[in-house]
Amino acid sequence: MRTEQDTLITPNRLHPKEGEVIDRATTIRFTFDGVEYPAHPGDTVASALTAAGVQVLSRSFKYHRPRGLLCCSGHCPNCLVQIGDEPNVRACTRPVEAGMEVRAQNVWPSLKRDLLSLTQLGSRFMPVGFYYKTFIRPQKLWPLYEHTLRHVAGLGEVHIDTPLGEFDKQYLHTDVVIAGGGPAGISAALGAAEGGAQVLLFDENPTLGGHLRFTVPLDSSSTPEVSKDLPELLEAANQQPNIAVFTDTSVLGWYQDNWLCAVKGTRLFKIRTKSVVVATGAYEVPLIFDNNDLPGVMLGSAVQRLVHLFGVLPGKQVVIVTANEDGWDVAADLQSLGVNVGAIVDEREPNACSSPYRDGLVNAGVPVFYRHTILEAIGSNAVRGAKIARIDERAAISPTTTQSLNCNLIVISMGWTPATELAYMTGGKSEYNEECAKILPVSSPPGVYVVGRASGTHAVDSQIAEAHQIGSTAAAFAGSGEVNKLTAQSSGTLEPRRTSDRVCVPGNKKRFVCYCEDVTDEDVELAIAEGYDSIELLKRYSTISMGPCQGAMCSMNTIHLCARANDWTVQETGTTTARPPTTPVTLGALAGQNMEPVQTTPIHQWHLDHGAAMMVAGLWLRPNHYGDPAAEAMGVRERVGLIDVSPLGKLQLTGPGVPELLERIYTNRWENLRVGRVRYGVMCNDEGVVLNDGVCAHLNDETWYMTTTSTGATTIFEWLQWWLQSGWGEGIHLTDLTDVYSAFNLAGPQSRAVLEKLTERDLASKAFPYMRIRSAKIADVPCRLLRLGFTGELSYEVHCPSGYALHVWEALMEAGREFGIAPFGVEAQRILRLEKAHIIVGQDTDAMSDPLSANMAWAVKLDKPDFLGKPSLMRISDEGLKQLLVGFKMADPDVVPDEGLQIVEPDADGRLKIIGWVTSSRFSPTLAAAIGLCWLPPELASQDGAPFTIRIDGHLKEARVQHSAFYDPDGERLRM
Amino acid sequence: MLLLTCPNCGDRNVSEFRFGGELSSRPKDPSALSSAEWANYLYMRNNVMDAQTEWWHHNAGCGLWFLAERHTRTNEVIKTYPYAKRNA
Repeated sequence: MRTEQDTLITPNRLHPKEGEVIDRATTIRFTFDGVEYPAHPGDTVASALTAAGVQVLSRSFKYHRPRGLLCCSGHCPNCLVQIGDEPNVRACTRPVEAGMEVRAQNVWPSLKRDLLSLTQLGSRFMPVGFYYKTFIRPQKLWPLYEHTLRHVAGLGEVHIDTPLGEFDKQYLHTDVVIAGGGPAGISAALGAAEGGAQVLLFDENPTLGGHLRFTVPLDSSSTPEVSKDLPELLEAANQQPNIAVFTDTSVLGWYQDNWLCAVKGTRLFKIRTKSVVVATGAYEVPLIFDNNDLPGVMLGSAVQRLVHLFGVLPGKQVVIVTANEDGWDVAADLQSLGVNVGAIVDEREPNACSSPYRDGLVNAGVPVFYRHTILEAIGSNAVRGAKIARIDERAAISPTTTQSLNCNLIVISMGWTPATELAYMTGGKSEYNEECAKILPVSSPPGVYVVGRASGTHAVDSQIAEAHQIGSTAAAFAGSGEVNKLTAQSSGTLEPRRTSDRVCVPGNKKRFVCYCEDVTDEDVELAIAEGYDSIELLKRYSTISMGPCQGAMCSMNTIHLCARANDWTVQETGTTTARPPTTPVTLGALAGQNMEPVQTTPIHQWHLDHGAAMMVAGLWLRPNHYGDPAAEAMGVRERVGLIDVSPLGKLQLTGPGVPELLERIYTNRWENLRVGRVRYGVMCNDEGVVLNDGVCAHLNDETWYMTTTSTGATTIFEWLQWWLQSGWGEGIHLTDLTDVYSAFNLAGPQSRAVLEKLTERDLASKAFPYMRIRSAKIADVPCRLLRLGFTGELSYEVHCPSGYALHVWEALMEAGREFGIAPFGVEAQRILRLEKAHIIVGQDTDAMSDPLSANMAWAVKLDKPDFLGKPSLMRISDEGLKQLLVGFKMADPDVVPDEGLQIVEPDADGRLKIIGWVTSSRFSPTLAAAIGLCWLPPELASQDGAPFTIRIDGHLKEARVQHSAFYDPDGERLRM
Repeated sequence: MLLLTCPNCGDRNVSEFRFGGELSSRPKDPSALSSAEWANYLYMRNNVMDAQTEWWHHNAGCGLWFLAERHTRTNEVIKTYPYAKRNA
């Protein structure tokens, strides 16, 4: 409940009025730097603090000067605060919540008494770019510099122990996107929707209406009140079923082919649309004068937002500085609320003013200073007065006319700059329009339209008429409705000029161009004098427009200053490039949900239930082991084991053209492979680099069944598709069966005995020898059996339809129980294959390995007519091999070198040089030895038993070359 | 994000596709080539700043490898078509 005391501590809260968005019936409490304040639901953090008379919300980036509300629309850096764990929150747009803990950022020791503000005493020694000049020497002190700078110049704090938030993404598809929900945006949405198009309307504010929520339409001659046009527009939009409205949603960027990105809190939208209407409005431009950053200096639109939306008046004695009718609007608005308007300072001649409120204000006794401007905001932590002076005939300030006015609020209403970032991103062109002193879009790519204040149209009536037509044009572009002939013209040039050329009033104190990075007009002049004269260089050197406001407050003024210093026109000076995001976005929203796609086999749950330690292999999750990989390997050697090899790539090739294709893609011979036989094959690319290996079986007359490595399955499928579709596909059909079939390797001396229990097929070696394929029913499921030997033992690869995979797996485990069967994982398989010195493509080979060097010369038939890689392999063979892949055994069986370690040899000077490297290594439980594979120079690799040294943690350890397989070199166990 | 028109599936986001490089074809008789000519086929690309005919693969879709004419400066996709219609 609101108490009497709350009323006392919210002196700036006005009486209730129409149009406000706060719920006065409820009072909630929050803290700012530990002090409790009341607020109403609907208040922003900043409006509640302003109601309580708090003016200083932050300290500036470099000089730690006190800063207060300036734009009140989320487009300047002055109200950035830390809320709980979240840094850099804009207090002026973040709705306040009960119990919120708000803190000031970048202050030491406190916001009120920030000792770091003493830095400005030394500002003479910290000109623009001073850190580039100062902190480069000595280089070794940089870590200290960096630590100190990070502490002194910074924004909020990121707490690394903050729990991961909930973020997500949504994809939207539509005909027309309208970016901005002011009068022009709503009207364009209506125009498009009436043409039959589906429309998405985005606005960054909590409700639609843009400036109509808090301003008086220009053409209204009535007493100030919230626009009468707005309810009508909102009602029409509400009735229109084709319009979907997204409030609190900022459109962050435009990308090719009308792909847009928008963010609403923790949700990121990715939107594909056929056409876009940019209705992003305009930013009010600050004026550069002495102490223009003092809390209490605010833009006119900011004051109107506070007054009309939140019932908060930020100051009771007001001086309004203007150069157009908008300043008079603000004056009339405030006066109607009973505010004492102390003075209107208008740059223009009296006869240039055509405000409908002029007579009323003058008659009410409001002092008006024509041909005057402001020189300085007086005060230390808040505005206490304004120093003004007359502008003489040559447009210069005449110092003798200086006078001071008492006030606690200075309203700046000098003009507007269109918010054209999105229009710029689409590739549209813009030009400086002298008539209205604005940079306006002059062209945009097909399907992109700019309306309202973003296009320079200021009067609400014109905006509404023009945008409605452009909306229907956008719908027609998207394929809905007829294209209307454009009758409404942009009235930008017909309107009274609303933006002043004067952007900077000279003085002798600090005048800020850029509030984000504390850059003054003198800094800009210095940077230009130092040679950073082009607008893009000036931006990078001074960091103007690179801070949180992203140029909303500073871009236009900087362009004017740059033009003046160089004696260029504004058009010649140009603009900087606008890039996404238009407004700051959290990394969490960009990242979305913390999800990674994984592939699991049909046996996945069984593995988990049986204690498997899973590992990531490509996208697959595979059992690495079930507790003891060495015991699993010994179980295969001595009894029988079962491994899930479902991730193997499985391709079926059908048709008369297959043999010729196999000859082309493999390095060895295929045309003589008879039905029922399986052959190992290596695939190379045309550079002669090993791409993949696996087996291919001749299943029946015109069908072949190929397996590839697990991680290469997708790549090889795409590779084969390319060759088939680019000329080698005659008479061939290729099908990817990787997910259709699951595969298990039943390995070990007892594997035949296990399998015999589950099939009627004769498994005797004579009927089903090594390197053959057979179809058979296993546990009543039709399977393909391949007799292979990757592990070095008698083994059968069982390929079964994935839907029955778990049934077959469990049947095999059950049948094997009496033989002591155990599942084994990838680690045990790696030990087993290494004992046989079988290579793994991608582990033992890399993107430079050819099969001749990788100990696979036996699988390369250079006398074949042609195959992929042959011309390169011929040349490699002719030139001689540079490195060979060979097996090695460590002298000390307890020393297993890590994979990747260097093999070294002393050169003539006794220095060690690298001559090779280890690619695979394991302790072999079967042989009780440390074994591995490595690359060595040919002269060393070709000598069986030759010693060499591996560098392990700085020590040299001896190993010897071994040519034969470490286990069962003659392969007798495979053929049992 | 760029839209590409798959000749089978129509307009799709470019993230559904894999880029396959500019159109080149394997020499008919590689054994007749000099080492320089073979190296030229393997490693040399035209890398034009102009309309370029290039391979794309609809790998998250129908699996078609097709050709696109794309301007390498503006990224404008002028047309897409199946390899079989390259001379049409």
